[in-house]
Amino acid sequence: MSDLKIINLVKNFVGMDRPAVNNVNLKINSGELVAFLGPSGCGKTTILKMITGLFAPDNGDIVLDNKSLLPIPTENRGVVMVFQNYLLFPYMNVNENVGFALKMKGIDKNVIEKKVREMLDLVKLPDIGFRKPKQLSGGQQQRVALARALIASPRLLLLDEPLSNLDAHLRDEMRDLIVTIQKKLNVTTIFVTHDQEEAVLLADKIALIFDGELQNYTSPKNYYEQPKNIKAAKFFGGVNFIKSKKINNEFISDIGKINYVGENINDLNDEINITIRPENIKLSKTNDFDHNSFKGNIKSIIFSGTHTRYKIIINNLELECSLQSLGIKNINQGDEIFVHLPKDKIWGMND
Amino acid sequence: MNNNLKKINVYAIYLGALILILPLIAFFINAFSFRWFYPQIIPKELSLQAWVRLKLIPKPGQRSIEGFLDLWTSNPAVIKALMNSLTIGILVTIVSIIIALPAARVLGLLNFRFKKLIIFIMVSPTILPPIAFVLGLNINFISLGFSGSFFGVCLVHLVPIMPYVVLTMTGIFANYNPDFEHQARTLGANKTRTFFLITLPAIAPGMVVAALFAFLVSWSQYLLTFLIGAGKVMTLPLLVFSTASSGNPALTAAISIIFIFPAILILFFTSKFVSGESGATSGFGKI
Amino acid sequence: MGGERLKIILSLTPPLLIIITLFFGGIFYGFLQSLGYQPAIGKYDINFSAYYNVMFSERYSKLFWTGLGLNLWVSFASTFLAAVFALFGALAIRKTFFAKTVCNFIYSLNLPMPHLVVAVGMIFVFSQSGLLARFASQLGLINSPGDFPVLVRDKYGFGIILAYIWKEAAFFFIILMSVLQSLGENFEELAQSLGANRWQRFRYVILPLVMPNLFSASIIVFAFSFGAYEVPALLGVIYPQMLPVMAFEFFLNPDLNARSEGMALSIIIALIVMILVVFYFWLTQAKIRKD
Repeated sequence: MSDLKIINLVKNFVGMDRPAVNNVNLKINSGELVAFLGPSGCGKTTILKMITGLFAPDNGDIVLDNKSLLPIPTENRGVVMVFQNYLLFPYMNVNENVGFALKMKGIDKNVIEKKVREMLDLVKLPDIGFRKPKQLSGGQQQRVALARALIASPRLLLLDEPLSNLDAHLRDEMRDLIVTIQKKLNVTTIFVTHDQEEAVLLADKIALIFDGELQNYTSPKNYYEQPKNIKAAKFFGGVNFIKSKKINNEFISDIGKINYVGENINDLNDEINITIRPENIKLSKTNDFDHNSFKGNIKSIIFSGTHTRYKIIINNLELECSLQSLGIKNINQGDEIFVHLPKDKIWGMND
Repeated sequence: MNNNLKKINVYAIYLGALILILPLIAFFINAFSFRWFYPQIIPKELSLQAWVRLKLIPKPGQRSIEGFLDLWTSNPAVIKALMNSLTIGILVTIVSIIIALPAARVLGLLNFRFKKLIIFIMVSPTILPPIAFVLGLNINFISLGFSGSFFGVCLVHLVPIMPYVVLTMTGIFANYNPDFEHQARTLGANKTRTFFLITLPAIAPGMVVAALFAFLVSWSQYLLTFLIGAGKVMTLPLLVFSTASSGNPALTAAISIIFIFPAILILFFTSKFVSGESGATSGFGKI
Repeated sequence: MGGERLKIILSLTPPLLIIITLFFGGIFYGFLQSLGYQPAIGKYDINFSAYYNVMFSERYSKLFWTGLGLNLWVSFASTFLAAVFALFGALAIRKTFFAKTVCNFIYSLNLPMPHLVVAVGMIFVFSQSGLLARFASQLGLINSPGDFPVLVRDKYGFGIILAYIWKEAAFFFIILMSVLQSLGENFEELAQSLGANRWQRFRYVILPLVMPNLFSASIIVFAFSFGAYEVPALLGVIYPQMLPVMAFEFFLNPDLNARSEGMALSIIIALIVMILVVFYFWLTQAKIRKD
């Protein structure tokens, strides 16, 4: 069991006008794979370094299994970090690198040897034990770093941008390996990334962080369908935002009345933004929809292979719609068109 | 035409090299000859007499291992000066490295206010001549009782060495990634083990070069030792200077050869580290 | 935050303490003494008479000004010539040829060599019974040692200049080699393809590229040769005498009053070096601002 709780975490750095980490709260359940997602400099790596104990927080607490980590020195926390550039110790060979954590625990040489072999098998790199880090490819270094991190069965595994230094084709392979191993060992894992696609593909949950503040913490699917705010929606490729006013439980916007049935309807303020994914918008030359149907004009058409993107102007509001290229009937620039926003696909956000 | 030019070029280089080692040739001829009269170029006879007179090699007939040991343990002036030079050099080098290590780390890895000023203060002894501070310091040392003491000489040697060691090691830390230490810590290494297993191996090559040349700076120090040692601390450079002033070329040459031996050795083993970019080079100006 | 500041202060204090107390403390105390403040012999007054004596009194002024002239001449000549020799050496030695590594080693050999030994070497090579005089005699160029020009312990400082060239050319050489190596030959090949001949490539391509490093190395060499003691002490004459030797001899004078003059001299030497270095920084900063 390794439940991690981050409570009111704050960190300031000299010479920065805002906190690097500002009052972050989140809970990670045992065995979960969580992504810290955000642009570079948003504070996500700082949080990792506070979890490992390399930085001390200015305020707040980090609790693992109901016990605060803060008074425990780094080496005894059972929290292992894999750095972005792997940091294999250059003067040690692969075996020595992988066995490092066990050696620190004073474990018998033969046991270490056996365990190292197991770990190298796990990351699918048998037979390279006597090579030096310099002789390994980037992908191999990454696997060795992973094996080294996992050998002492850490309570928590932290990965800093694990895929960013790899070529595109290696990335898919490595991603699968990380997920497989993580599920197999059931080790609670946090990884940091700036790439939302990577986060979506890997994580059970994503913590979206901007400017040191936690914006949203939920499953990848929800970021697409039920984002918490415009920032979160935009980071995941959201482009359609319709300003709406709530009047007597109805939503009125520039393009007309919107029929809304989202589950958060009771939590919404009087002024909200309604969003919808481009791929969920339906188009038709004739008005064959029973609700949320609006008349507009096609402003532009961009063909991008399997999909075609349409920009549509409705009453000064621009919406973007993405349709499968196959089966499109003749829609041309300037055409008048009916736009349908299915009520079960739209989502309202307070900010 | 181009080819001819190239040939001339190469011959010029050989000639330059020959000119550059002329003094070295002269040292060896002087040290191993007897009565090398003008205008001979090659001495008439080779001889170890200079070395015998310096009590470094026993007289003919006593050249057994015991002979050497007896002679050397009788503590002749050259051996005494050699031991003094060695002890002072090693001691000062170790102390300066230990003192410089944390400072160089901070200067190499962190940015803070007054950093430029601090570096400027640190390097000033490499620019201003030693005579500017040692005359004043000498009077203070006399009143403190450091003058004429081994300790005082070690202390004053730190002045030319410190800036140079700090600067060289700052360069090492500027290219050093402290995340390696963090990595070791998260893998369960405590602070002490992290230092010995991670930090030290990473900075060791640069540190050895810094140490070797720091030693050489101390080894070559004449003026500071002469003044602060007040004639009571005899080192090799002092012996070379006084022998050279008294004008016996054979003895001067023999002591000089002992004196320059570590310099050549150190250059030989470190030549690949010595380049214009490394802080090591700028320190040579002081030797 | 506070922890980091404390770490910085604790780490920097020991070396700074050594430099400030021993080096700056020494200079400060020397300065006090140069002003006549000598409690040891019961003198507490403060004035500039030692400076006046050294520079303008009938007894010392001639010694001082000729010494200063000799200092400037020796430092300029040796810095310039060492730089020129090293530049040609470095340019020539870049290409591969037989025994390049050995030559490289020999050209760098004087770098770790103590100045003292180089000075002794000059005596062995250039004195009137030295190695060169013997060659000259064998070749029939001179009849007796007296026919060989006085190059060591001469009043023009030739011996001193030779020693500094010997020693500092190696310093310039190492610096130039690494600059040239990092530049590669692309610029020259480019210039050649644009029609620059050998001389033009040297004058308009190589020289401007190595100049910044050459210039800053020159400052180090000049400052050193201006204030160093050993070489002029071994290879100089009593008159004219280089300033560091003069300062030292004043200082060792049994007459304790001469101490102030010795201190004043050493402060003057330091001041001149400092002005030079400040001027250099001002020059480079001005150039950076202009660029």
